[in-house]
Amino acid sequence: MLPDIFILFIVLAPGIVALTGLVHKQIGDLPVMFLTTGVVLTAGALSLFQLFAYAAGIVGAEGHGEAAGHAVEAVAANGAHVITLLPWIDVGNFHANWAIRIDALSIVMMAVITGVSGLVHLYSWGYMSEDPHRSRFFAYLSLFTFAMLSLVVADNFIQLFFGWEGVGLASYLLIGFWYTKKAPNDASIKAFVTNRVGDFGLALGIMAVFFVFGSVEFEPVLSAIRENAVVTPMAFAEAAPAQEAVIEFLGQRVYALELIGVLLFIGAMGKSAQFFLHVWLPDAMEGPTPVSALIHAATMVTAGVYLVCLMSPLYEHTLYAAGMVTIVGAVTALYAATVGMAQNDIKRVIAYSTCSQLGYMFFAAGIGAYEAAMFHLFTHAFFKALLFLGAGSVIHGMHHEQDMRKMGGLAKFMPLTYAAMLIGTIAIIGLGIPHTLIGFSGFFSKDAILESAFAAGEHHVMFGQVAFWFGIVAALLTSFYSWRLIYMTFHGPQASAEHHDDHGLAAADDHGHKHDDHAHVPHESPAIMLVPLALLSLGAVFAGFYFHDWFVGGKESAFWGGAIYSAAENHVLHDRHNVPEWVLWAPLAVTLAGFVIATMTYFFNRGFGKRIADSGGPLHTLFSNKWYFDELYNATLIKGSAVLGNLFWKADKKIIDGVGPDGVSSLTRWGARRISAMHTGYLYHYAFVIIGAALVFGAVMWLRAGGVN
Amino acid sequence: MGGFPIISAVVFLPLIGALIIMGVRSATAGSFSSEEAGKDSRAALLAGLIISSATFVASVAAFLTFDSNAAGYQLVEQYAWYGEITYKVGVDGLSMPLILLTTFLTPICLLASWNSIHTRVTEYVVAFLVLETFMLGVFAALDIVLFYIFFEAGLIPMFLIIGIWGGKEKIYAAFKFFLYTLLGSLLMLVAVVYMFQAAGSSDIEVLEKFAFPPHVQTWLWLAFAASFAVKLPMWPVHTWLPDAHVQAPTAGSVILAGVLLKMGGYGFLRFSLPMFPDASHLFQPAMFALAVIAIVYTSLVAWRQTDMKKLIAYSSVAHMGFVTLGIFSFNEVGVQGAIFQMLSHGLIASALFLIVGVVYDRMHTREIAAYGGLVKRMPVYATLFMLFTMANVGLPGTSGFVGEILTMVGGFQAATWAAAGAALGVIFSAVYMLTLYRRTVFGEITNPKLNDISDMNVIELVCIVPLALLTILFGVAPNLIFNITEGAANRILSLMVGG
Repeated sequence: MLPDIFILFIVLAPGIVALTGLVHKQIGDLPVMFLTTGVVLTAGALSLFQLFAYAAGIVGAEGHGEAAGHAVEAVAANGAHVITLLPWIDVGNFHANWAIRIDALSIVMMAVITGVSGLVHLYSWGYMSEDPHRSRFFAYLSLFTFAMLSLVVADNFIQLFFGWEGVGLASYLLIGFWYTKKAPNDASIKAFVTNRVGDFGLALGIMAVFFVFGSVEFEPVLSAIRENAVVTPMAFAEAAPAQEAVIEFLGQRVYALELIGVLLFIGAMGKSAQFFLHVWLPDAMEGPTPVSALIHAATMVTAGVYLVCLMSPLYEHTLYAAGMVTIVGAVTALYAATVGMAQNDIKRVIAYSTCSQLGYMFFAAGIGAYEAAMFHLFTHAFFKALLFLGAGSVIHGMHHEQDMRKMGGLAKFMPLTYAAMLIGTIAIIGLGIPHTLIGFSGFFSKDAILESAFAAGEHHVMFGQVAFWFGIVAALLTSFYSWRLIYMTFHGPQASAEHHDDHGLAAADDHGHKHDDHAHVPHESPAIMLVPLALLSLGAVFAGFYFHDWFVGGKESAFWGGAIYSAAENHVLHDRHNVPEWVLWAPLAVTLAGFVIATMTYFFNRGFGKRIADSGGPLHTLFSNKWYFDELYNATLIKGSAVLGNLFWKADKKIIDGVGPDGVSSLTRWGARRISAMHTGYLYHYAFVIIGAALVFGAVMWLRAGGVN
Repeated sequence: MGGFPIISAVVFLPLIGALIIMGVRSATAGSFSSEEAGKDSRAALLAGLIISSATFVASVAAFLTFDSNAAGYQLVEQYAWYGEITYKVGVDGLSMPLILLTTFLTPICLLASWNSIHTRVTEYVVAFLVLETFMLGVFAALDIVLFYIFFEAGLIPMFLIIGIWGGKEKIYAAFKFFLYTLLGSLLMLVAVVYMFQAAGSSDIEVLEKFAFPPHVQTWLWLAFAASFAVKLPMWPVHTWLPDAHVQAPTAGSVILAGVLLKMGGYGFLRFSLPMFPDASHLFQPAMFALAVIAIVYTSLVAWRQTDMKKLIAYSSVAHMGFVTLGIFSFNEVGVQGAIFQMLSHGLIASALFLIVGVVYDRMHTREIAAYGGLVKRMPVYATLFMLFTMANVGLPGTSGFVGEILTMVGGFQAATWAAAGAALGVIFSAVYMLTLYRRTVFGEITNPKLNDISDMNVIELVCIVPLALLTILFGVAPNLIFNITEGAANRILSLMVGG
């Protein structure tokens, strides 16, 4: 554990240096870039040191009994070391502080966030070197880093929500970074709004938490669930143990924990681009590629996984909410993989791959293997950031061409990028040999997930079997589309002639690339972009091997301490060691099968993919059109809201104003016209009215006085 | 305090200033050439600025003597007036922040008019100062008749501001504004007379403790609600607001959104809840329904607007829906959230109207389609606009978030469906605000007239930057407000139970 002052630095300094973006005109681009990059790299070094020191502290604690530091003990014992900064909201019994809460989960997340962010800052020196707005870009990156850190160190739901929305803002700003162009603008709004749909669920979940537990702080809420303490939901007098509490929501009586679990997970679905709310992630690729690596692969999109793992006590004691996490994760893993096979934009392939890998993490969490989910989150950060930055290097070298059909044979132009992409690919397909510790990062984490899923299925955990089989099929597809990407991009004949023709179109962004200097020949990227690739490659190769024991391989309960909770009956992580032999070999088998199919179709028989696409078969059409989700949502939700909006606007004008003020005034005018029409000026008209009135008046008086009596 | 009538001083300082300006004006009438008359008009604005700033300083002085820990009314002044009706003013944790908001926004309004108002400037300044007195009187009055007088009198200067200095259809908008609000007020007058008869006093503190029979409460509640619902405004009596905003000059919109709308929420909290608790409970579901309709309906309408001001006006209605939700949740979190939301909206909506005014002064159009690509010419403007866009969509870290989340948390405890409906507004607000921002600020410059548009000048920055700082300050440290409002909110809730 680090002293508090360093932890404060890690979390707050990126936010402070982000403000330099506001004065970049005054101080110039370079100071902004130096400050942001320097601070985040320092924070990254500190966070990584913190992670290693924490793991070492666990060893120390196991080895020497009491030798470990006090803070390590605190974290290992009950899961949190809290630094309260300032009170934020105190209304009645609603309390939320600005605070930093360090537990094993946040230690891991901090390392991932600042580590990848530091490398992405560095990489952007090369990638964004010709962009006139690069200081703004760096400021946004640091702002994102700050928001993401404040999310993972929150000690209450409200600060979590602050970080949650803050990363949404940063993501919005960065997707729409090239703000003069239509596509990035559309994509940025789509991302923000889709995330807001998720936040709708998250916000309601937070309200429900306060309703049930009378607090929005993690510690009281989570311990109440763990200990099954008696809670009294407000405005609902029945006190009950937390795990059996029932509340009324929208007129239905539901288990409180199930409700909260489902609502919070809706938030996670939005942020982590899970099935139904995934539509924004592929479009988010309109942003600069370093952004895709940082936000839309390694960090922000994993916030949902983090939330579910943080809430492990909750999901451990729910049946349907956990089942929902599992099935949505499993479906996403498979769905995104099918779409990824049929995309031609290099970044979109990787985007769908991210979506799919997040699905793995979610179904791991859903079946109760939170440790495996976090492990995959951790290793995925390395190899997915590597793949994205590698793709960025390709795009940079191809003068902003992203269509893989126009690439090919790049291996000889950019050998180092090729090597990095190969490492990333082998890591993501999870190549490794069962029963040994030989394998790339993805092997350790993905196989842990699949074995856990099988074990869960054996124990009749809801959707455990489904998750396992979906995961296996998705692994086959993952291997296929990953190798397809490699072959289309780096192998085969150079498709440069085609590329030249519409180069002007492809590069028509305000990137201001100096085309003449490069003479249209693909080129290797500068060293400042290759160094991050090299470092991430190290992680993609060794992170799984190195951290396997800590995360899932036997020492996990000491490592995670109180941060991840497993119910007494949850043994999936243990049972995964007792699965049949074939379960261990199945991932390797399908991975190799995917490799063979991709090699047959895209390496030895290069026209094959194009023929499939041209033949327009129903499956390919479905996949390449992303199962028509965009079209569906456009036709229903967006069109529907627009129609309603126009309808209501008309109602304002026609009905409310028509009956209300305009109606009243026209009625008055109508009445006045009637009355003024009586002023004819003819004496006999007036005389007639006077006499008639006198008669009526007299008659009334006479009747009232007693009439004929 | 030695009995210095600080609240009266705050309330009447603008009125006295207005009288002095009028006096100077009529004394010097005719002695200026037309050239000098132009300078004279700047002098009137300057005088107005000085007077309203002095009022702000006075209100801050009043706040410094204000004890946030005390729940009841403070700095009370009471003088005999007419029989049982007394002149009684004072403040509590509910009215104090609203008074500060009023005195804070008025100088900003006058300053914002510096470059945009050139006709009948003296009268304009006088109208604003008179309006300020009436608005302050509404929040300070502790006698229901006095309240009613201020409440109604405020209509007149606002009517004039829209009707004289407004846009093309100012007459229609001014009359619509006047008719709607007057209709509601007449019903309130009947109720006030009845209450005075029944309780034998017009003292708000007495009326708070007077137990009206439940069936009487129902009618009284409805009569008051007719007035407050129009002011707030609630669906379906909101249609005056978009027209009034669109036609009003920028400063008029600011004061309308910033202060006048708050009178509705203030009225519900000051009268309806403590005096008619049974009726308030009775109408809770209806009010929740109207709040949810307001949020969803007007958010969708806002999205379809082509006029920037109209969009923000509809967005105001939606945001005031959260106020209704919080007030009628009848719990501390909701009520404090509602008060906070009123203040927060006072800052954010005011700033957004100023933001629109900045480009309107340059381009003389509010059509969204006439803009686009402003970020290239106006980076400072784009940054501030982004801040308030995010504040309006309730991004945590801005004051907009705190009000929304607390009113929803409070509403959830009272009725989950109301909170769920209101939470839909969280999605829609992002849709219309980001669309607005994207169409005006992002993209390429397509309108050639925008090629030499200038960024914000010093006066505009002086108007908007303080609002920006407060929006962030109250977003990060909302306890600054809650410490003030806590006592009053709890007192209102206890009156509901015990009254």
